[in-house]
Amino acid sequence: MLNRNMAEAARKALSKPAPYGPDVDLSKYDILNPRRIEPTEILEQERVRDASGRLGFTPEIVRKAGYVQVNEAYLASALVESLRKQGVVVMSTAEALRKLDIAREVAWTLIRPDTDKYVAATYLYGKEQGYFIYVPPGVKVRTPIYTCLLITRGMTAQLLHNIIYVADGAEANVVTGCSIAGLHAEALHIGVSEFFVGKGAKLTFAMIHAWSKGAVVRPRTAVKVAEGGRYVSYYMIYSAVHSLQSYPKVTLGRNASTSLYSIISGEGEGVYDVGSSATLAGPGSSAEIISRNLAKDKSRVVARAEIVGESGPSKGHIECMGLILSDTAYISTVPLLDSRNPEATLTHEAAIGKIGEDQLTYLMSKGFSEEEARALIIRGFLSVEAPDLPPQVKLSVDRVTELISSKGHG
Amino acid sequence: MGSEVLRVEDADIYVAGKRILRKVDLSVGAGELHIVMGPNASGKTTLLSAIAGVEPYEVRSGKVMLAGEDITNYPLHERVEKGLVLAYQNPPSFKGVKVSEILKWLRRKFDLDPSFTESLAEILDIHKLLGRDLFSGMSGGERKRLETYLTLSIMPKVALLDEPDSGVDLDSVGRILEAIKLALKHGVSVVLVTHSTHMLNLVRPLTNTAHLIFKGRLIFSGLYDEVVPLVIKRGFEGAAKALGRWS
Ligand SMILES: Nc1ncnc2c1ncn2[C@@H]1O[C@H](COP(=O)(O)OP(=O)(O)OP(=O)(O)O)[C@@H](O)[C@H]1O
Ligand SMILES: [Mg+2]
Repeated sequence: MLNRNMAEAARKALSKPAPYGPDVDLSKYDILNPRRIEPTEILEQERVRDASGRLGFTPEIVRKAGYVQVNEAYLASALVESLRKQGVVVMSTAEALRKLDIAREVAWTLIRPDTDKYVAATYLYGKEQGYFIYVPPGVKVRTPIYTCLLITRGMTAQLLHNIIYVADGAEANVVTGCSIAGLHAEALHIGVSEFFVGKGAKLTFAMIHAWSKGAVVRPRTAVKVAEGGRYVSYYMIYSAVHSLQSYPKVTLGRNASTSLYSIISGEGEGVYDVGSSATLAGPGSSAEIISRNLAKDKSRVVARAEIVGESGPSKGHIECMGLILSDTAYISTVPLLDSRNPEATLTHEAAIGKIGEDQLTYLMSKGFSEEEARALIIRGFLSVEAPDLPPQVKLSVDRVTELISSKGHG
Repeated sequence: MGSEVLRVEDADIYVAGKRILRKVDLSVGAGELHIVMGPNASGKTTLLSAIAGVEPYEVRSGKVMLAGEDITNYPLHERVEKGLVLAYQNPPSFKGVKVSEILKWLRRKFDLDPSFTESLAEILDIHKLLGRDLFSGMSGGERKRLETYLTLSIMPKVALLDEPDSGVDLDSVGRILEAIKLALKHGVSVVLVTHSTHMLNLVRPLTNTAHLIFKGRLIFSGLYDEVVPLVIKRGFEGAAKALGRWS
C-alpha cells in the first residue's frame, strides 16, 4: 500500500530530527501489529477506564465514541443510524484507504512522510492505524464525534494517522482525547493528522491530552480550510509529560477563518513545546491564535505562534499569556508575524508573569484561603472565551480546567 | 452603646517596614458606625488594612481584639471567618474570574442570608455586574458598589469600608448609604473612611463617633459633633490645633 517514492523518502527521513523539541530515540519503543477488537474486550479494562477518566471522559462517552484505540488495538463503533444514512463515515484509516477513493485521494497530501523521523516512522510502520472521519457535503453533525486514543502498556509506540474530511457546506465537532494509564508509564505517541475543511464548511476540533512522566508525544497536524470555511481548534494538556512537541499548521483559503486556542499546563520536569501556525493564503482570510501557558515545578513551556500573511486583505492576531508558578519553571513565548502582503494586518500581544500578590491578598480579604485564591486565579487565567465550542464539549473542557486549577498551587 | 466588638490597643502600625501610626487605641461597639477622617497619606488605609490583616500592612506591637478574642496574629482569611472584613479603597482587577463565581463561592463559604444579600444587591444595583470579570473594566462607581456589596454581604461583625464613596456619583452615594443602613440594622458594625462632606452629612443621623488621624497619630476619638464640623470648617490642621492635639 505504501507509495514507493514516498516510502523511500520516508526511510531517508527516519533519522531526521524535528526542528523543535528534544530528539527522541524511536528504536526503544515496541511497535506492534494493529488488530481489531470487540467493544466489550476494550471497555471493561480497568486501565482503559483509568486513562479515559483522566480526560474527563465518562464511560458513557467512551462507549459512544466513534473511534477508540488502545495501544495497537482499535475499534470503530457503529455510528447511529441517522448519521450513517446521511453518509457520515467513521472508520480506521487503514480500512478507509482500502475502501474509499476520497481517503486515497487525500491521504498524505498535507503532511509529507519525510517531514521528520516521527512522520516517517508513522508512514512506514504505523500501518495506517488511526481514525478516518468523513462528513458529506451539506451534512451538519452537531453532536460531537468522540475519538479516544489510549495507551495502557509501557514502552508502547502508538503511531497514528488520522484524517478528517468535512466536505463543502458540512459541519462537524470532533473531540479527541489522548491519554495513558499510570502516571509513570513510558510510551511514545505520534499522531499524524490531516484535516480538510471544505468550502463554507466548519470543523471544531477539541483535543485533550493527559499523559505521564515518561510519555513522549509528537503530534503532527496540518489543516487545509477552503473558501469560506472555518476551523476552530481547542487544545488542552494538563498532565506531566516527558516531552511534547507539536506545531499544527493551518492554511486558509479565500474568506476562510480559524481560531486556535491552546491551554498548556506544564508540570514535573516536562518539556512542552507547543505552537500553532496559520497561513492567510486567500484574501479575506483571518486567524487568531490564543494560548494560555502555565508552568509549575521544573517544567519548560515554549509557546510558539506564527501567522503568515500571504494575501490581503487579511487579518491575524496572536495572544500569548504565560503564568509561572514556581521559581524553577520556565516559559518562553515565540510569536512570529510574517507578512508578505501590505493588506495583511497582523498583531500580537504576549505577557508572562506570576500570580499577582495583590490579587491573592484581595481574595484572601474576602475569606479565600491562599490555595483557594490561587485556584480561582489560575482558573480565570485558563478560561478563554471560545464561543465556537459546542456545549457538550465545553463541559469536558470545564471539567479539565477545574482539574488543572485545583492542583495548580505550587 | 452596644457591647464592644472591635478593640485596637496601643498598636504601632507599619507598612512595608515603615511605621505610619503610633499607639493607636480604638473601640467599636456592636452595630455602631464610626467615621475615620484624616488627610491624604495620613494612614487611614494603613489603619484599616492592618486591622484586617492585609499585607504589607501590619500591627507590630499592641493588640487587635475581635469580640473578645485576640486576633492580632491571625492570618487574613481567618479574620474574615471571624467576622472582620475590609472593603478595599482600590480593589485589583481580575481576568476570567466572574463576579457571579465569587458570589457563588461566598454563598457557600459563609452561608449567606439570601434575603439580606438580595436586598443589598437591589440597593447597590449589582445585577448588571454579575456576568462581568471581577472589577475588570468597571467604572469607578461600579467598583465601589461591588466592593461594598461583597464586603457587606458576608454580614461581618465589623465591616471596614475604605472610602466606599470616593469617585461615586450622588445617586450612588445614596445607594451606598442605604446599604450601610441595612447592614447596621442587621447588627454589623461599620468603620467608614470618607473624605466627602456629602457623605459626612448623610451619616450624621446614624452615628455619634468619629476619629481623626493626623501626623502619625489617632489624635481624636469621640463625638462626631465635636470633630466633624470642625474639620469641615477649618480643615485638618485647623481642627487639630483647635482640639489642642497639635500646635
Ligand atoms: N504598600 C505600601 N508601601 C509603602 N508605603 C506605603 C504603602 N501603602 C501606603 N504607604 C504609605 O503609607 C502612608 C499612608 O498611606 P495610606 O494609604 O494609609 O493613606 P490614606 O490616609 O489612606 O490616604 P488617602 O486619603 O489618599 O487614601 C503614605 O505615605 C503611603 O505612601
Ligand atoms: Mg486610603
